[in-house]
Amino acid sequence: MAETDRLKKPFAGLRVADFSWVGVGPTVAKYLADHGAEVIRIESSTYPEALRRAGPFINDEPGVNNSGYYANFNSSKLGMTVDLKHPRGPDLVRRLIAKCDVVTESFTPGTLARWGLEYEALRAIRPDLVMISMPLFARTGPWSHYMGYGHVLQAATGYNHLTGWPAGPPIGTGVAYTDFFVPHIAAAALIAALDYRRRTGKGQFIDFSQMEAAIHGLGTAILDWTANGHEQIRMGNRDPEAAPHGCYRCKDGQHLVIACFTELEWAGLKAAMGRPEWCDLERMRRKWQRLNEQREIDRHLSAWVEDMTRRETDPPEEPMEGAEGVMIRKFTSYELMEWMQKNGVPCGVVQSPEAMHGDPQLAHRGHYRKLNHPVMGERTYDSPSFRLSTTPAELTKAAPLMGEDNEYVYKELIGLTDEEFVELLLDGALE
Amino acid sequence: MTDQPPVPLPHSTGPLAGYRVIDFADEKGQLCARLLAELGADVIKVEPREGDPTRHNGPFFRGEQGPDTSLYWWVMNAGKRSVTCELRLAPGRELAAKLVDRADIVIETFPPGESARYGLDYPTLSTRNPGIIVVSITNFGQTGPYRDYLATDIVGSAMGGQMYLNGDEAHGPVRTTAPQAYAQVNVQAAVGAMVALYARGVNGGMGQQVDASMQEAMANTMDNSQQIWDIRQVNQSGPGIRRNTAGVLGPQYLYETADGWVTNLGLGGLLGPKGAALIDWLAESGEARGLDSHDWRARLAAGALSPEERNYVEIVLARFCKPRPKLALVAEAQRRGAGWAPVLSPREIVESEQLAARDYFVWVQHEDIGESFLYPGVPFRLSETPAVQRGRAPHAGEHNEQVYGDLLGLDAGEIRRLRARMVI
Repeated sequence: MAETDRLKKPFAGLRVADFSWVGVGPTVAKYLADHGAEVIRIESSTYPEALRRAGPFINDEPGVNNSGYYANFNSSKLGMTVDLKHPRGPDLVRRLIAKCDVVTESFTPGTLARWGLEYEALRAIRPDLVMISMPLFARTGPWSHYMGYGHVLQAATGYNHLTGWPAGPPIGTGVAYTDFFVPHIAAAALIAALDYRRRTGKGQFIDFSQMEAAIHGLGTAILDWTANGHEQIRMGNRDPEAAPHGCYRCKDGQHLVIACFTELEWAGLKAAMGRPEWCDLERMRRKWQRLNEQREIDRHLSAWVEDMTRRETDPPEEPMEGAEGVMIRKFTSYELMEWMQKNGVPCGVVQSPEAMHGDPQLAHRGHYRKLNHPVMGERTYDSPSFRLSTTPAELTKAAPLMGEDNEYVYKELIGLTDEEFVELLLDGALE
Repeated sequence: MTDQPPVPLPHSTGPLAGYRVIDFADEKGQLCARLLAELGADVIKVEPREGDPTRHNGPFFRGEQGPDTSLYWWVMNAGKRSVTCELRLAPGRELAAKLVDRADIVIETFPPGESARYGLDYPTLSTRNPGIIVVSITNFGQTGPYRDYLATDIVGSAMGGQMYLNGDEAHGPVRTTAPQAYAQVNVQAAVGAMVALYARGVNGGMGQQVDASMQEAMANTMDNSQQIWDIRQVNQSGPGIRRNTAGVLGPQYLYETADGWVTNLGLGGLLGPKGAALIDWLAESGEARGLDSHDWRARLAAGALSPEERNYVEIVLARFCKPRPKLALVAEAQRRGAGWAPVLSPREIVESEQLAARDYFVWVQHEDIGESFLYPGVPFRLSETPAVQRGRAPHAGEHNEQVYGDLLGLDAGEIRRLRARMVI
């Protein structure tokens, strides 16, 4: 038996009550689940969480057990339902938490306190509990009760201001960006607290603000203001320290990004292009000069990329205009990427979701996992961006159906008898 | 201790207090190490004698380039200690290995295969220190067909798919100006480091390697677009001021105001059963332009609008927002139950009443230039082991004596000799 077979999964034996919903909290708990913790999503069918109500749905038919959006954030987890508005609901949850090590939640501040499920109360039941609250703005402050999603939090934390073209609107990213940035910081803090508990037996409460964490993705822009009084602004695809630095359209409809920060990279680009005259002009000699000539560089480079690329169905070589018999090589976008890389130029194709699905590097890393879901069938799930050499992440099961594990949770963990279970079920407490 | 530089706090209180991290990282790993410093670890940044190359990353304090003026460096390395160590020399490599012997976590960003040249590869380090966790952060991963590809932030954003989802029809894909591929792989690798640290504790002190990829980190920011491809075979692309929902171009989510922009979802909250309060708001202001009619209310509540109807609602909303200040608009929309948010610039973020109420920003003392500056504070507040901002970023080699002397036990003569031989 290999040594790694004897190793425990990192979080084996830890049980997590996961009240969190939408993007941020579920991602935090997913890290624990994918690395061995028993994570129980606590939901209510009386108010299904936003992602269960958001697509894509199989066959475009909305259904709480049919959302690919929800599924992706909740691999490896169990699912239970409880109606916290039912008089018995909060007590059932308290009995569960007595058997949990971790509580994660991302409700609007005060929500759990309404049911007597705030940290101070839960700590009385489970003294070594580690609990993290991750509201959108913060637990306190004038905006603490503000509602929203990552799609608008990216606006309040500077990402919109810094994404788009200088003369255009602050379009922001096309996704709920902060949902994909802040959970990692929350997870790092939560696991650090768990490690402290492992060593000392002490639990604690983590007051985590999505807004405050999001700002760490653009700290340099904040310092530019606080130390220099300079306000950074979106620059399209430019970079203050590289030229060229941009995104160029290929004839096959794809885009290639090219970035030259160093003289070596610029020399590589010149070689890759066959040293056209313009790039040996005196005013292109040094980087600080090129930074002033970006408009012209972009004009030349755009034309060159357009000229030298081809559709996949076009022949790879074409006769050069005017010169009889001389053939020139034309590239697909991926061939051009390879050619530029061979010449030492940092570059890459702007990959579509479809291209990512077929990306050989991501396939080699096994990034997309296929998991079989009882309603949705075999579907694509994202996995962590890191590979642990001895205790790697393992996505053990597809996302839970609404209340899929009620029997296990209510009978084995909470300790209800069959009769009590049926009685509460009929009374609507388990919805 | 009177001449002790203020970097870092001598006694940390975070959950990682007592752990030591050695940071050999460039842009792909410095923020990762800083997060661990804020969680309480003793982070030692290892730099070449002339200083780390990222000290030349702009912007610079007062626009003046110098070894200690990079604001990028300030932010990414705040609260760390610094030693210089010439890895190209054998005694330097031995010194680095000795540091790793006394550490729990190494963060390195050498291109795949290169760390072996310095004796800093996982097999070598783990032979000396079986408990060591080596966090190896690269563009594409340690192995695979693209492992040797060159990349910077924008390449990670492109190959990781995120740029495909950003931008608009007219201009094509766009990158976020503040580098996000770098930021993403940093924070995701920090999770990997923590999982490995926890695993070590439950598996008899055995360390491991954490192989993190910038491309893959960006792939994890693609929202539900992979599932949309998987389920619907639709490639979502940059929607500009609109929003993609499950592969369908949705309503405008960005509206211009008197002093900037606001964002909202679902046509400002007018759509759906909870929209009545918002329609009332427009009506009370005399700017409903018919949306408060019985018919329109029913249509908005049902949420099913024709493209023309949606366009009309967008125009009504745009006209309503244009003359009003953004913070007042957001406050009133929120009061009426809709999740609007303002588009804030770095200045407006620093001036935010919300962050002020939380004492979020902290003054970090730069006693070397006789000033203090506001930094973003720690985003996690832990009740038992409070995390703290640990001070400014170090000068190159600022802690050579402290680290090589107190930690490695070298005497003054040995340190002098290392310096004379240009090792440190």
